[in-house]
Amino acid sequence: MEQQTFLNILPILIVSTTTIATIFVEAFYKRSDNLIYWLSIVSLILTLIYSILTINVQNLNFSNTLHSGGITNLFYFVLSLTSLLVIISARDYLLRAKYHHGEFYILIFSSLLGMMLMASSRDLILTFLGLELMSLSFYVLAGYNRKVLFNNEASLKYFLLGAFASGFLLYGIALIYGSAQTTNILLIVNEFNNLLLKPLFVLGLVLLLIGFSFKVASVPFHMWVPDVYEGSPTVVSALMSTAGKTAAFAALIISFYGSTTSQVNFEIVAKIISYLAIASMLIGSITAIAQTNLKRMLAYSSIAHAGYMLIGIASANKLGMSGVIFYLIVYSFMNVASFILISLMENDFEKRISLNDFIGLANTHPWYAAIMALMMFALSGLPPFGGFFGKYYVFLAAIKADLTYLAVIGVISSVISAYFYLRVVVYMYFRTNEERKDIFHTSADNFVLVLCTLFVLQLGITPNLVLDLITRFLP
Amino acid sequence: MTTYDLIFYLFALIILVSAFIVVAARNIIYSAFSLLFTFFGVAGIYVLLNADFIAVVQVIIYVGGILVLIIFGVMLTNKITEVEIKTESFQVLPSIIISGIIGGTLVAIFTKTNWKVAEPQILDKTVTEIGRFLVSHYMILFELAGIILLVALIGSVMIARKEKLETEEVEK
Amino acid sequence: MIPLKYYLILSAAFFSIGIIGVLTRRNAIIIFMCIELMLNAVNLTLVSFSSFFGDSSGQIFVFFVMAVAAAEAAVGLAIIIALFRNKLTINVDEVNIFKW
Repeated sequence: MEQQTFLNILPILIVSTTTIATIFVEAFYKRSDNLIYWLSIVSLILTLIYSILTINVQNLNFSNTLHSGGITNLFYFVLSLTSLLVIISARDYLLRAKYHHGEFYILIFSSLLGMMLMASSRDLILTFLGLELMSLSFYVLAGYNRKVLFNNEASLKYFLLGAFASGFLLYGIALIYGSAQTTNILLIVNEFNNLLLKPLFVLGLVLLLIGFSFKVASVPFHMWVPDVYEGSPTVVSALMSTAGKTAAFAALIISFYGSTTSQVNFEIVAKIISYLAIASMLIGSITAIAQTNLKRMLAYSSIAHAGYMLIGIASANKLGMSGVIFYLIVYSFMNVASFILISLMENDFEKRISLNDFIGLANTHPWYAAIMALMMFALSGLPPFGGFFGKYYVFLAAIKADLTYLAVIGVISSVISAYFYLRVVVYMYFRTNEERKDIFHTSADNFVLVLCTLFVLQLGITPNLVLDLITRFLP
Repeated sequence: MTTYDLIFYLFALIILVSAFIVVAARNIIYSAFSLLFTFFGVAGIYVLLNADFIAVVQVIIYVGGILVLIIFGVMLTNKITEVEIKTESFQVLPSIIISGIIGGTLVAIFTKTNWKVAEPQILDKTVTEIGRFLVSHYMILFELAGIILLVALIGSVMIARKEKLETEEVEK
Repeated sequence: MIPLKYYLILSAAFFSIGIIGVLTRRNAIIIFMCIELMLNAVNLTLVSFSSFFGDSSGQIFVFFVMAVAAAEAAVGLAIIIALFRNKLTINVDEVNIFKW
């Protein structure tokens, strides 16, 4: 390996080395939990710093299979920041549940490795392997607390549906290989216009999309989402719903990037994507109204958000793609914060996460209530926060691409979803309950929450900065 | 029809019939054993396609690894003496329609596409070429496959090991 | 000589049988076997493309798919056994905390 290649893929090397180092530390030290915790935080911070420092050095490594620098480093940054936030707050949650072991970090890191490879891959084989590494880690993490039946079931369901979906993904890749005679994404993107004339390639793209819809939690493979988010440990749900979605969308954007130069032939695929988007938005927002369990509610909202993001892919222009990436960044912070707030309410696995448990939170813990309210406003897409701009860019891209009906349905669905987001705020502020509830907060959680709040506010105040950055690095 | 064609149809028949038995058998043991024939049938087709390396790997991994794992799974989750294992099915009609649509689209596009290639080409020294590719062009994939297997190992041990943790925690 | 089309149609039929199995059966292990059928169908497609194009990268892909399938088998059966230990059933609709 040349020295330059080594430097280019250093973020991946750091993460994979940490995965393996964690295994050894876990195996040879008796009381390794704290050591592993700090080791993982340090290596994630290193990854963050390094990926920002080298963001301008763009390269292709390993015979054009792995991209580094530019947009890839931006994805690295978002993915490892999300994992860092989750890891920081996960320790206290797991200690509370009496299930804090080194394996948790091994699996988080291996899933992060998979996600990073998905985001940087320029070869469909690598994308598939990265996706499987991420999924395998998530299957295990979903059943992390294996004494609890709830976790086992979440994990089984996630596994069966995930493997089923990867069958479709693989068939899609096989057909793309059959029509393009290569699996290299760069070559495919260059030939995108000609390839779209072949029905075989179009079918391949559609099957690929169906396979990815499992990971991004959109229709037609959305039925696992509520059950798995509800059944998994809350910190794991936080990671799955944010970083997992980001990585899958990153891979989707990279594979579909050729569509930005070819409006004409892309229509059939765009139509299918927009049907999926509409179905996801409506199913997500309408079903969420009926939920009283907050984790389930966030799961349905995750389906709806996947729908909004698919609009950006369907509109097939540069604004759409960068809008989706912006949306993903905002969504990661919003959702991590919401899930961590929920995890603070739990005194044991799977307890006290219904809407009624949030009654009167504003009186007992005004700060937490304020952050929760802010996150709910941001998720529903109210103007001053980051969530608004995520939706705004995506809808704007749809209007530019003459898909105005998608934007209209998106707005309608946002209005519907405002109902259940704001209901949480109403429960916290306008209902009172005599019973005082303890919140299990620690300084680590507070730190993460404040950080997320700042990011969401900042993305709402100066969205252009981040969008410009994204647009600059998109090829 | 040459012998070559005949062999293809024979293997195709084996694959489809045994796959059908996997799906339809009442007894899970029949399904598992029928899977054996499917895997061998697929390996046979690989040989017909001049993919000798993949055919061997198919037999080693699928028959020697995965199938054995599956049979272990069956034995661990059912008492062998109780042959009455409930495996009835549901939603038959909708699923046949769904898979009919998917399969129909695939077949329609396969028949419509104009394939310019006429016959399977014989790559000389498949093993050499695959081996060279694995450590040059696809090096990163090869490393990644190693990590995937490692993680799978750790993950499955973590989930399936017997519970000993509570006693440890009490001692602490 | 058997044309490429026939191999592909065989794999499509094979894939559909797998889908029917996943959607109709209730036993988690049988569902898993049907998923293996689907993966085999995909491998068949890939190998036939690879062999007709004279391009070995398809076969390398199949090699990786097999590695992943083995990893999935290990994790999947571990999950099934963990569930069985807690619940003593592996029928997915008896797993009734969640609706399937």
